[in-house]
Amino acid sequence: MAAYVLRRVLWGLVLLVLVSLLTFVVFYVLPSADPAQLRAGRNASPATLAQIRDSLGLDRPLTAQYWTFLSQVAFHANLGYSYFSQAPVGSLLVDRLPATISLTLGAIVIWVLVAVPLGVVAATRRGTWVDKLTTGGALLGISAPVYWLGLVALYLFADDIGIWPLFPGAGSYVPFTDDPWQWFTSLILPWIVLASTFTAVYARLLRGNMIEVLSEDYVRTARAKGLSERRVVWRHGLRAAVTPLVTLAGLDIGLLLGGAVLTETVFGIPGIGRLNYEAIVHADYPVIQGTVLLAACFVIVANIAVDVAYAYLDPRVRTA
Amino acid sequence: MPRPVKRALPLLALCTAVLALGACGSSNNDGGAAATVDNGSGGQRGGTLTLLTSQDIQSLDPGITYGSLDLNLLSSAVRTLYAYAPDNPTDIQPDLAASAPQVSPDGKTLTVRIRSGVKFGPPVNREVTSRDVKYAIERGFNPHVANPYASTYYGDVVGADRATGGPIAGIKTPDNQTIVFELTRPTASLLAQATVLPLSAPVPPEYAKPLDAKSPSTYGNHLVSSGPYMISADRDGDVLGNGYVPGRSLRLVRNPNWSAATDDRPAYLNEVDFRIGGSPTVSGRQVLAGDGLVLGDSPTPALVKKAYQTARDQIFFSPGAGSRYAALNTAIPPFDDANLRKAVSAALDREQMRRIRGGEIVGEIASHFLYPGVLGFEEGGGQDGTGADFLENPQGDRALAERYMRAAGYADGRYTGDETLQIVGLAGAPDSNDAQIVDQTLQDLGFKTQLKLVDVSVMYGRFCGVPRARVHVCPNLGWIRDFADPQTVLNPAFNGNFIFPENNPNWPQLNDPAINRAMARGELTVGDQARADAWGAIDRQVTATGAAIPWLWDRQPNVFSADVRCVPELWNQGHCDFAYTSLK
Repeated sequence: MAAYVLRRVLWGLVLLVLVSLLTFVVFYVLPSADPAQLRAGRNASPATLAQIRDSLGLDRPLTAQYWTFLSQVAFHANLGYSYFSQAPVGSLLVDRLPATISLTLGAIVIWVLVAVPLGVVAATRRGTWVDKLTTGGALLGISAPVYWLGLVALYLFADDIGIWPLFPGAGSYVPFTDDPWQWFTSLILPWIVLASTFTAVYARLLRGNMIEVLSEDYVRTARAKGLSERRVVWRHGLRAAVTPLVTLAGLDIGLLLGGAVLTETVFGIPGIGRLNYEAIVHADYPVIQGTVLLAACFVIVANIAVDVAYAYLDPRVRTA
Repeated sequence: MPRPVKRALPLLALCTAVLALGACGSSNNDGGAAATVDNGSGGQRGGTLTLLTSQDIQSLDPGITYGSLDLNLLSSAVRTLYAYAPDNPTDIQPDLAASAPQVSPDGKTLTVRIRSGVKFGPPVNREVTSRDVKYAIERGFNPHVANPYASTYYGDVVGADRATGGPIAGIKTPDNQTIVFELTRPTASLLAQATVLPLSAPVPPEYAKPLDAKSPSTYGNHLVSSGPYMISADRDGDVLGNGYVPGRSLRLVRNPNWSAATDDRPAYLNEVDFRIGGSPTVSGRQVLAGDGLVLGDSPTPALVKKAYQTARDQIFFSPGAGSRYAALNTAIPPFDDANLRKAVSAALDREQMRRIRGGEIVGEIASHFLYPGVLGFEEGGGQDGTGADFLENPQGDRALAERYMRAAGYADGRYTGDETLQIVGLAGAPDSNDAQIVDQTLQDLGFKTQLKLVDVSVMYGRFCGVPRARVHVCPNLGWIRDFADPQTVLNPAFNGNFIFPENNPNWPQLNDPAINRAMARGELTVGDQARADAWGAIDRQVTATGAAIPWLWDRQPNVFSADVRCVPELWNQGHCDFAYTSLK
C-alpha cells in the first residue's frame, strides 16, 4: 500500500510539472492580454513598454522564464511575485486559502448530510411522493446556476438587502480567527448555495446506485437471512452504493478547494477562486500559475485520498 | 489620453430598461455639462466611509498609478503640485504648490513654489521639500517604475530624453520651496497642467531609493503619505498585509502629520475603507440600502434604473466622462478611401447605439472628438457639431451614405469588393450590441464582414492597438482625457507620429500630414484661448476625415448611500472625493 501511495505521489509531481508547463504555454500562446500593456496603459510609448517588460522579466526567452519559475518553485518554494500588486504569490495564496477551505468544507458537510438521506429515502420509497419530491427538487438544484441562486438567496435572506433579513449578506466574511461566530453566520448562505447543486447531483446519483444495489442477490440474501430492513439498507446497500460517489466527491472537493469562483464572487468571499479570476483579468501570470498549481495539487491529493478511501470501502480493491 | 483598461471604458452600459425611464436627463441632476455640483463645504466631521468595489487597486505607487479608482484613492493620500477642485474639472489650482504656476514668456521655463509646513506621514515624518518632488518625477523614468506618461508630458524637460531614474538636468531646486523645470520646447503651460497627475506627488528619496532599486519597484507597497489620509501601515511603512490586502481590503486613515492649515481640503472623514472583490450587482444594492457606502464600480443597468426611479439623490451622472467612437482603419483598403468612411458614418444609427446603452441618461450623441468639459470643445463645434454632413443625422442617413458610396465609385450605392472586413469589438452587452449595429450597418452597405467579440484587454492589446493585426473596424473604442487640455484627447489618438507597432493609440492609423503639422503647432501654442482655438480647429480637421465615427460623449453614473454627502470629482468621472465627502 505504501509503495502504491508513493507511486501516486511521484506521478502527481510529474502531473504538476505538466500542468505548470501547460499553463505557461496557454498564457503565452493564446491571445490574451499583455501584462506590460495592462500595467502601462494605452498611452505608453514602446520604450516604456520595453522598460516594463524588462522590469517584469517578460523580455527574456520563454524557456528562461519558465526555467526560472520552475527552479524557484522546486528549490526555493518561491512562486514569484504578482505583476499587479508586487505581493509574493505564496502569501496571496495563504491569505486566500482559509476562506476557500471554510467555504468548501461547510458545503461538503451540508451536501453529505442532506444528499445521503435524500438519496436513500428516494431509493427505498420509489414512486412515492417522497421520491418525486426528491428527484424534482434535485432537478431544480442541478438546473439553477450557482450565481443566480446566490443572488436570489441574498435578495431573500441577506440582512442588508434581503426581504427577510436572516443572515449576514455579501462581503460579511471574516476569518475564523477574527470572529468565529461571524465567520459561521457569514458562511451560512454561501454554504447552502454552494451545497445545493452538489446535494442535488449526489442525491440523484445515490438514488440510482441504491436502486441498483438493493436489487442485487446479496441484498436479497441478507433480507432472507432475516436482517432488519434498516440494517440491509444502511449497512449493506449504502456501503456499496456510495463507493462510486466517493470518487466523484474526491474530484469535486479538489476542484472546489481550487476555488469556487462564482460563489466567492457573489458573496464577496476573498478565496482562491476570486484570486484566480482577478489574476486572469489582470494577466497576472505568476498568480495564475500559483492558483492553477494549487488547484492541481488539491485534485491530485483528493484523488490519492479517494483511492485510499476506496480501498477501505471496497475490500476487493485492498486485495487487488 | 487613454488610461489603462479599467479607466479607458469605464461606463458600464445601461440596459434598454433604462430607456423606459423616458424622461431621463430632464431633472436637475441631469448630468449635463452645466450640472451643479456640491463643493462639500460645511460637511460633518468624522465617520467611516466604505467603498465597495469589484476591482483591485492597480498600483499604489504615484509613479505608476493611472487608473480611475487609483487616482481617486491617491488624490487623498498624496499631494500633487496642482489639482482640480471637485466642482471645477477645467482649471487647475495649487495643491502642494503655494501659488499659480509661473511660466516664462518664452514658455520654456516653469517655476513652482511649494507650500511650507507640509509633512510626510509616518515613517518619514519630515517636511516635504522641492527635492522630494524632483525625485518623484525623476523616478518616473526609472525602468523599475516606468511611468506610463512621464515621457509624454515631461519629455520636453532638458535631459529627460536620457533619463533613467537619476537626476535630470532640467529639473532644478534652487531652494527647499522652489522647483524649476527647464524645457527644450515652449510647453511649460501643458506641463503645469500635467502636474495634476500623481507623478508630481512628493516621494522621499532617502526612503524610496532602496525600494526603487528593486525590479519592479516596491515603493507602492510602502507609500508615504503627504495628503490628509494614509494607508494604514506597520512601523516600517509597509502597507502590504496591513492596510492593504490585495484583492480584499484597503484602509485609509488620517495622516497624523497632515495640517489643515496647509491644505484647502476639509478632509471630514476619519477613515475610508475599501472592500474589494464583491459583485457589483450585489454591492450596488448594498450601497443603495445601506449606510456610509459608495460604489467604486460602474453601477449595473438595473441599479441605475432603480436608483433613478427610487433614490434620485443617491445617484450622480458625471458629465465629461470620456468619448466613444468607432475607428475605421485608414491604412488599408477599403477605408483608405475617405468617401467610404464617410458613407459608413452617414449610415450609422448612433441614436440606436446610445439607446442600447440606456438613452439620453448615459450621455450625448457625439459629433466630434473633443467632448464637453475639455478645452476647445466649443471651438471644435460644441453641441452643434462641426458641420460635417455625414454626422448630422444621429439616426443615420441612408441616402447620404449612398451618395458617398457613389462618390467612392460604387454606382449603385453598395460596396462590391470581395474582401471580408475584420471587425473586433467587445464581448458582453451592451458593447457587443453596439458592435453588432456597426457590423449590420456595414453589411447593409454591401460589405462582407467578420465580427469578433473579445475581452477589452485583448481588443486593445492584440487587435485594435496592433497595426499588423490589420483590423478594419474597431467599434467600441473609448477615450478619456488626462487633464483638461485638448492635446491629451486628440494628439495620440489621431497624430501619425503616434502609430506604434504595438500599444498603438492611433487606432484608425490616421497619418494626415496637414493634421500632423497642425498638431505640432498646437503642441507649442501658449494660452488657454489660443490652445482652444488651435485644437478646436484640429478637432474639425480630424472629424472631417471620417477616420473615426464619434458616437457618444459619456456620462458616468455613481451611486452612494443616503447618508453620504458625496462630493464628486468631476475631473475623475464623478467618484466621491474622499477629501471633500462627508457623512450626513
